[in-house]
Amino acid sequence: MDQQPSADREKLPGRSISGKWTNKERVLIFSSRGINFRTRHLMQDLRTMMPHAKADTKMDRKDKLFVINEVCEIKNCNKCLYFEAKKKQDLYMWISNSPHGPSAKFLVQNIHTLAELKLTGNCLKGSRPLLSFDPKFDKEPHYALLKELFIQTFSTPRYHPKSQPFVDHVFTFTIADNRIWFRNYQIIEEDGSLVEIGPRFVLNLMKIFQGSFGGPTLYENPDFRSPNMHRREMRLAAAAKVREKQMVKEMQKGKKTSAKEDLESDVTADVFLTPAEEKPADIQTEAPEPKVVKKKQKAFKRQRMQMARR
Amino acid sequence: MVIGSKTMAFVEEEALLGQDSEEENSELSDDELQEAFAAGLLKPGMNVLVDKPKKLVNNVEGLKQCLADFRKDLPWVERLDLTNLPAANIISQAEEKASAPAAGELDADDDFQREMFFYRQAQATILEAMPLLNRHSIATKRPEDYFAEMAKSDQHMQKIRKKLISKQMIMERSEKAKKLREQRKFGKKVQIEVIQKRQQEKKAMMSAVKKYQKGMTDKLEFLEGDQKMNKESSQGSKKAVNKKGPSAKRKYKDQKFGFGGKKSGKKWNTKESYNDVSGFRAKIAHGKGGKKGKGGKQNKRPGKSVRKKMKNRS
Repeated sequence: MDQQPSADREKLPGRSISGKWTNKERVLIFSSRGINFRTRHLMQDLRTMMPHAKADTKMDRKDKLFVINEVCEIKNCNKCLYFEAKKKQDLYMWISNSPHGPSAKFLVQNIHTLAELKLTGNCLKGSRPLLSFDPKFDKEPHYALLKELFIQTFSTPRYHPKSQPFVDHVFTFTIADNRIWFRNYQIIEEDGSLVEIGPRFVLNLMKIFQGSFGGPTLYENPDFRSPNMHRREMRLAAAAKVREKQMVKEMQKGKKTSAKEDLESDVTADVFLTPAEEKPADIQTEAPEPKVVKKKQKAFKRQRMQMARR
Repeated sequence: MVIGSKTMAFVEEEALLGQDSEEENSELSDDELQEAFAAGLLKPGMNVLVDKPKKLVNNVEGLKQCLADFRKDLPWVERLDLTNLPAANIISQAEEKASAPAAGELDADDDFQREMFFYRQAQATILEAMPLLNRHSIATKRPEDYFAEMAKSDQHMQKIRKKLISKQMIMERSEKAKKLREQRKFGKKVQIEVIQKRQQEKKAMMSAVKKYQKGMTDKLEFLEGDQKMNKESSQGSKKAVNKKGPSAKRKYKDQKFGFGGKKSGKKWNTKESYNDVSGFRAKIAHGKGGKKGKGGKQNKRPGKSVRKKMKNRS
């Protein structure tokens, strides 16, 4: 099946075919049911970026996770990237070395796919990537293990039949804020000018297991808060705010309507009280006479002036 | 402080009621608590059950063992991985900003800084990797006529290009509009200035003409005034334009109050200066000194009779 293309490739200049593909890494990339469009596109993008990847149908979430090991064996893959979607909101990613090796579970956030128009770079399909790691990966044992896992999973084997011999893009893995940030850049000039190709995502480590999709836990991330807890905390905070406001309002209302204290009656207040003399009640039986109002007959000013002149 | 067993029991019951009923702990029975108290394990007062802080697994030994088992010793050419710090930040060096992330933590919330950090990390990788790749004769540039499938289709790249161009157009348009608005404002300013200048010139001309008409000046210099001004300005004369220097009023004030000092209010009379009568000359005040020896006839207008005579004569 690969005869014709490889013959063509031999004729193409710059393609050195003098090498056997020895590093037999195959990655199985698939997901569970209930993923949304962004996850699906992310998966497709990863398959595009990694020519040594294989696809599989969606797995039912009812099955236990160790079934995945069998699926990997059937497909003859030794690495696996499994995307699990929960509540149609949260995306978890399992990365594992299939038969015996370690596996890790991450929460994936901030996904941007290849199709975004702001990511303007482009690269050959199947070209081999450079991998760039933060020095922090060497400092902790769990990060060192993850680094090895990433290297083996993401690096395209040399002389892979579907790969291109050029190295024109670079994957970066950086640790910031206790999360692993993934970026993919295209190399434009050899002096280091880059353009981002995508995809990009952030991995939040949850646990590392000794076995593949199971086994004893080797490491648990203390800073990890499950998305459910996070959402719950937000809701509680909002509720607490509202309750506080209500309480303040009630207190203010209470202050306004509380009956003002009557000052205690002073016992000595009526010591100096002398009751007034009683006046005889004056009852008028006849209506009073109407008052006679003497109207001043004042003439108008002009008339007065005339009079004065006369 | 002596606490009877009854009080103790009451306290423990309260604590019990506060907990989940599902919790089954043998230590909660009263007798055992009493024993524990007697033994000195419990202190008097309210005792509340506290959960032990959750212990998180960090099996360092296990991790290292696992890594050792799992590690594949591949030549670098197969892996193409590099670990490095980001390249020097040229922009921040130029601006001499405090490069906090250089030594310390990268702030994940400052988007620009974070992305620049990633970018520089990739740059450093490339700069380090190029010589290594050349040594292993792995190409990074593909030849011009090498056509192969790209990760993003040509159609998609066209869309991207269109979007970029449209963004640029929008920016240019907005900049043009801004400039026009500025120009309009500036133009209006200039227009106003020109109008005002013209008005002032007209006023000056009219007053000069009136002066001549009334006979105060018998020089017709004001007509040529403009030309002279133009000549002077064209010559680029940097001499003092008013040759008469400061006016008499200014000279008087300088003499009386001196130079410099606070910006306003210094060349006015104060109580002290008003009461200072040292500059009083009785002769001049009472008009006995004469008018400086008859020097005041320069611009004096002759009387009516004299003017009539002049008119009849001419």
